[in-house]
Amino acid sequence: MRARLPDREGVVTRDGVRVAFEIFGHGEPALLLIPASPITHARSWKGIVPALARRFTVVTTDGPGTGRSDRPRTPDRYAPAEMIADLLAVLDAADMDRAVLVAHCHAVPWALRLAADHPRRAAGVVAIAPGIGVAPPYPYAAEAERRWIDPVDAPAGWSMRNRHFWRQDGGYRGWVEFFFGQQLPEQHSTRQYEDTVGWALDTDAEAMIAEREGRAAPAGREAEALCRRVLCPVRVLHGSDDRCQPVARGRQLAELTGGDLVVLDGAGHLPHSRDPVKVTRLITGFADKITGAPMHATTWTRGPRRPRRALYLSSPIGLGHARRDVAVARELKRLRPELEIDWLAQHPVTTVLDAEGEHIHPASQWLASESGHMTSEASGHDLHCFQALRRMDEILVANFMVFQEVVEEGCYDLIIGDEAWDVDYYWHENPELKRGQNVWLTDFVGYLPMPDGGEREAFLTTDYNAEMIEHIDRYPWIRDRAIFVGNDEDIVPSTFGGNLPAIRDWTTRHFSYSGYITGFTPPQSGQVAALRAELGYHDDELVCVVAVGGSGVGRALIDKVAAAYPLAKKAIPELRMIVVTGPRIDPAAVPRHAGLELHGYVHRLYQHLCACDLAIVQGGLTTTMELTAAKRPFLYFPLGHHFEQNFHVRHRLARYGAGTCMDYLATDPDLIAARIGELAGKAVSYRDVETDGAARAARLIAELV
Amino acid sequence: MKPGGVMRALYPNSEGTVVRDGVGIRYERYGQGWPALLLLPTWSIVQSRHWKMQVAYLARHFTVVCFDGRGSGRSGRPPEPAAYTDAQFASDAIAVMDAAGVETAVLVSVSCGTLWALRLCAEHPERVLGSVFIAPTAPLVPPLAERRVQRFGKVLDDPVGWQTYNAHYWKTHYPEFVTFFMGRIFTEPHSTKQVEDAVGWALEIDGETLAAAHLGLECCDAAATRRLAARVACPVLVMHGTHDAVRGYAEGEALADFTGGALVTLAGAGHFPHARDPVRVNLLIKQFADGFRR
Repeated sequence: MRARLPDREGVVTRDGVRVAFEIFGHGEPALLLIPASPITHARSWKGIVPALARRFTVVTTDGPGTGRSDRPRTPDRYAPAEMIADLLAVLDAADMDRAVLVAHCHAVPWALRLAADHPRRAAGVVAIAPGIGVAPPYPYAAEAERRWIDPVDAPAGWSMRNRHFWRQDGGYRGWVEFFFGQQLPEQHSTRQYEDTVGWALDTDAEAMIAEREGRAAPAGREAEALCRRVLCPVRVLHGSDDRCQPVARGRQLAELTGGDLVVLDGAGHLPHSRDPVKVTRLITGFADKITGAPMHATTWTRGPRRPRRALYLSSPIGLGHARRDVAVARELKRLRPELEIDWLAQHPVTTVLDAEGEHIHPASQWLASESGHMTSEASGHDLHCFQALRRMDEILVANFMVFQEVVEEGCYDLIIGDEAWDVDYYWHENPELKRGQNVWLTDFVGYLPMPDGGEREAFLTTDYNAEMIEHIDRYPWIRDRAIFVGNDEDIVPSTFGGNLPAIRDWTTRHFSYSGYITGFTPPQSGQVAALRAELGYHDDELVCVVAVGGSGVGRALIDKVAAAYPLAKKAIPELRMIVVTGPRIDPAAVPRHAGLELHGYVHRLYQHLCACDLAIVQGGLTTTMELTAAKRPFLYFPLGHHFEQNFHVRHRLARYGAGTCMDYLATDPDLIAARIGELAGKAVSYRDVETDGAARAARLIAELV
Repeated sequence: MKPGGVMRALYPNSEGTVVRDGVGIRYERYGQGWPALLLLPTWSIVQSRHWKMQVAYLARHFTVVCFDGRGSGRSGRPPEPAAYTDAQFASDAIAVMDAAGVETAVLVSVSCGTLWALRLCAEHPERVLGSVFIAPTAPLVPPLAERRVQRFGKVLDDPVGWQTYNAHYWKTHYPEFVTFFMGRIFTEPHSTKQVEDAVGWALEIDGETLAAAHLGLECCDAAATRRLAARVACPVLVMHGTHDAVRGYAEGEALADFTGGALVTLAGAGHFPHARDPVRVNLLIKQFADGFRR
């Protein structure tokens, strides 16, 4: 799922060749983002578009030869004059008189030429990793260029940049995989690598060959003359470890245009992908300077007079954390009555916060939906949550940029992030942006590979774990307090992979344990009858609650359990089954069965779970632990490929001796009906769940303010 | 202590005196960036050192010029009220800009420096890029309630509070007035150093001179201020503290409204935020001046 969809999209057609563009947001100045097509296209800007579009009109184009554009195969169609005519046509079609041109690599000469020949249309140029011949290329690139048309046998490395090789079976792919491996020298860039290789494979060898042979990029004196003709403001961003374009080119470009140069030390050729936060801020600063962004009315409160304020982020993927976070916030206010708490939160968490009367920060409306992304990644009763999290990179950076604006304006003393992955990741990547005391809460530590993911997935989870461990080692001051929601024994007896440490040892060194936080006190056995009466459950009924949490994933399980209902009802006439679809699944869309009760969002669902005779749920931690704390029998179905539900939650439930784990694929309605008959209303003997977790967590947090 | 007083964070690149109608105006120039900032004098009760928390920082980014207003510091002290009109201060500012070689500048004023800043914006628009007004004296709205007891020319028995804002009282009890007045400027807790500084500058002049400086500004009434404010065409930034006990916050609001400027509310700040909250004020001035650097 994309973090932000375009407000408008279209194509311009010149001489029968269609070139696609998209428009996002509104604001001065407009930005035209020009990718180094056709080896990449407009999606290469995904990490920076959502944040920029909240401030500016942003237009992206695929360029000819890739993406949603046509794929002309004649070199002439990629000549500079043609490329500039395309860009002008896009500006016209987007109703933009004037724009800041943001260009990458070999798109930079196009932007410079547009700015030089049509100065009224270019308000400025941001050149990222500029491929402009004002300084020599790398020798290996020059050598490959010289041998571009020579037939080569089994080339390796840069000599794969060869027209004959690209036409061989797998040749172009081989080149692309080598090339982007070189261009992401930063550690832990697997996701960016997959993205860029994927976009490069959206075109084909013939379009790529035509573009290379038609490019006619200026070099030497001609390139210098072009730079000198650019009169608008210029900003150059160049990674010190760029292996495509030497940083001398960026330096010379800045010199010749009178622009400013920002060297991104340690960055490679794709800083807009690998360091999107910094690049977004550099583009924003440049654009603001061009318009002279007028100062607007604000209030600054003297430091000593500020109320103590906290910003609370509750993991928005499901409803799981909302209840416990409200409980922690309540306890925290008990300890620090003067503390004001704002929530940066999104649906479905906001349903709980609204019902509890909590204050939701208005910037929450700008957040891209993490829950929606997870739903889009699910298929049936399967959610590969590690890969889904990786593919959520665009949404995480978009939401981080919202968060960062909120903390910079809000002067918060305290940030509490319950699995706020975006904050934790990007503050470690951009530590100079940290504001306030920072609390990190989580209920699992360590990505674990699913067995059928093979070596590749094991490599990836290890790499992600290694990055997290390096983050904490390098910047121990980013997390002022890390709280594990649970106890040390809840942590799986695994390692982080490879040569990395055991998860439990490492977590004990870096976290405090709060014990589990249910967010409520379960009724004592003597109180259940009263609760049942209050909820309208009669003594002569066996109440089975079916719940799938707060995300949009769960229809498949609901359908299978609903199909089991008539069978179970026949065997157990006193059965009453209540299906709770949650806030993101419409109960009206679920097939009807006579007697089956269907509800959408049920506030304080835990009360129903505490009062039921049996529950059937997914393998999410919150619901299963609520049932464990309430000592109710339950069947739980971990989502397929969901490492957290299959390993971390299962381990914890086994420790408590709670629940019956079911394999969704191996279970049919008959088996569910049979299990209902065996378990409904039966006594269980689980280990006790502590009831002071929220208070313990709040005490750990309160020490910071 | 070094000769000439406490060591400064930064010393001027050049300094000099311009003489207008026999009154010497002492100015200083720092730094060399563009644009230039002209830090204007305020009422003659303090001299240009009241900008001491701004100069070193701003001069790393901009050319900074400041001068002692007539009646203060090392400038002349003409005795007659006619020497202290807003027009006189505005003419001094132009003379200083000429002498310091500054063609155009961003104006930064505090309190009644507003009155000459408005004149410069309205009557010399070609010399003014933009104007920052801090805790402006903008008689577009009624004065603070607590000041309505003032009777400047009347002989009062045992005046207290704002009644001590009185020409006769100043002849005999000027230091007592200064102590009272500086206490009203700094309403923020823990402002002893700022009060000591301001009292020290105030005691460089006497009650008679300050009375003349007061009378010279009586021409700046609501109508005159409104006329000038309406002619301001350059970008404007107004900052005003909510706890300003000398010129009410409503004056800042009204000035921003009349000039179409941006208003930054300084919650909890008193009348001299540039002295008491120098970091935030410096950053705001820098941000505003950066807007002219395209």
